[in-house]
Amino acid sequence: MKGIVFTEFLELVEDKFGLEMVDNIISSSNLESNGIYTAVGTYSFSEMLQLLEHLSKNTGISIDNLLLVYAEHFFSVIENSYPGLLATYKDPIEMISSIENHIHVEVRKIYPDAELPTFEVIEKTDNNLIMVYKSSRAMHHFGLGLMNKTFEHFNSTATIELEKIKEDGTEVRFVINKN
Amino acid sequence: MSQDQVEILQRALKREKAARKAAEKILEEKSRELYFTSQKLEQLLDEKSSQLQGVFENIIDAYVVMDLQGNIIKFNEAATKLFGFDIERESVNVINLIYKEDYEYAITSFMQLQSNGYFKDYEARVYTKSKEVKWVHINASVIFDKDKNPVAAQGIVRDITEFKNLEIQKEKLLSKLEKSNDELQEYAHIVSHDLKSPLRSIHALVSWLKEDNINSLDKASLKNIELIELTLEKMEQLITDVLNYSSVGSDTSLREEIDLNGLVSQLVSILYVPENIEIKSLNILPNITGDKTKLQQLFQNLISNAIKFIDKEKGTIIIDVEDVNSHYKFSIKDNGIGIEKQFHEKIFKIFHSLKKSKDSTGIGLSIVKKIVNLHEGEIWLDSEPNVGTTFYFTLKK
Repeated sequence: MKGIVFTEFLELVEDKFGLEMVDNIISSSNLESNGIYTAVGTYSFSEMLQLLEHLSKNTGISIDNLLLVYAEHFFSVIENSYPGLLATYKDPIEMISSIENHIHVEVRKIYPDAELPTFEVIEKTDNNLIMVYKSSRAMHHFGLGLMNKTFEHFNSTATIELEKIKEDGTEVRFVINKN
Repeated sequence: MSQDQVEILQRALKREKAARKAAEKILEEKSRELYFTSQKLEQLLDEKSSQLQGVFENIIDAYVVMDLQGNIIKFNEAATKLFGFDIERESVNVINLIYKEDYEYAITSFMQLQSNGYFKDYEARVYTKSKEVKWVHINASVIFDKDKNPVAAQGIVRDITEFKNLEIQKEKLLSKLEKSNDELQEYAHIVSHDLKSPLRSIHALVSWLKEDNINSLDKASLKNIELIELTLEKMEQLITDVLNYSSVGSDTSLREEIDLNGLVSQLVSILYVPENIEIKSLNILPNITGDKTKLQQLFQNLISNAIKFIDKEKGTIIIDVEDVNSHYKFSIKDNGIGIEKQFHEKIFKIFHSLKKSKDSTGIGLSIVKKIVNLHEGEIWLDSEPNVGTTFYFTLKK
């Protein structure tokens, strides 16, 4: 998993719960990296899982909800660092449906070894979009958070339903209806 | 600040320092990677450039690169040789190379290049530096940059001057040939006509002479007059045949569907066939596309030849046909006097009659050969002296 996901995560934890919480979840996890992360490095996904689990235990917030909040924070990282990318879109449905064909293509230019989820477009109209998310990481709520923020970015809202196709959340259908 | 807080800060700081070092390390590795990649790309570029340079220099045809305004940027050696310009020292625009009469065609092709991105098989004249006019064949295409914007155009130019000259020469020769053929035919007509009329006069004068002196002339003189008349008749036949021969080659031949079976049976009923000769067809003759009069002439000549040369008590003439893909192969077989092998080719040449007789002018078979050739066929024969002759010929379906 790319280092930027770790550095941004720990920054958010520090922001919301303080440096002590950062220190706490790092010390209580068994990390190969010893908690030393740089945005351009690559680290094991199991480290992220441990950090999430310990944060969830310490705060009483579910992992899914933590991921949702983290994604909302991460969207602002995209907004600040890659404004050009967002500027190519005028509509949230357009942007979300082109994750695979455009956004991930751009991600790979910066992080060639990134392991990205797939988002397959099943159905698309002007106001509705059905996509199937597939990833061994089961971080569907991270995706959900990014989608929520995308609608917000375009001053719009949507009802997004998640249907787990696989119980473990590695395959999830997103049904998006623009309000 | 409590001891705990200090320690947390110290640990955070330590992590930050280590992270910075790790990032620097990754940066160094990326730099090195970048260096090697660019080395590799440069090498590849050098290789490709050298390959292209080789093509550019070794290509036999002239290779020309021009900008979008028509200014020549590049000439290979062949192009320099063809046009005579040294583009390193002088600037040349293709507009100035176009032969004035081909200007419109050149502009049309240039517009096609702009709209389609290429043109092919452009053939026109150009000026060289020494104002010599050369014929060239050009295939050209537009060169685009990576954003698909046209930046230049390239063309392969082949010098076809010699080829064109030959072509023009050939056309001239052909039209000259056609003209002299026409003249020749006309000449043959006039000559035949002009020869026939004094012949007729001689014929009339001789017959008057005979009538007026029938009582005073002796037997020998009457016999000689008879011979004069026969010779005159033969001469008239000869002129008629020459006229026929010269008109066979004319392009005025009508092409229509001909029922050869009907044509030949009609012919046999018209021809004088002595009672001792039987003519039969083994198969029904087909329909072919051709000129009716000429085909009639063809069969008439061959059949009457067969009749003429039968010396047996009981004569037979057998007509047959065989389907050979694109053609029909016909045969006319007789049991006549036969023709010796050494004459098999000669007989098709004009004025080659083997038997000097009053009704043989030596033109018949040369007409036959001409007609067969007109129908994209061939003619040949099999023969044994004293046994008989079979003429074979093919006609296109």
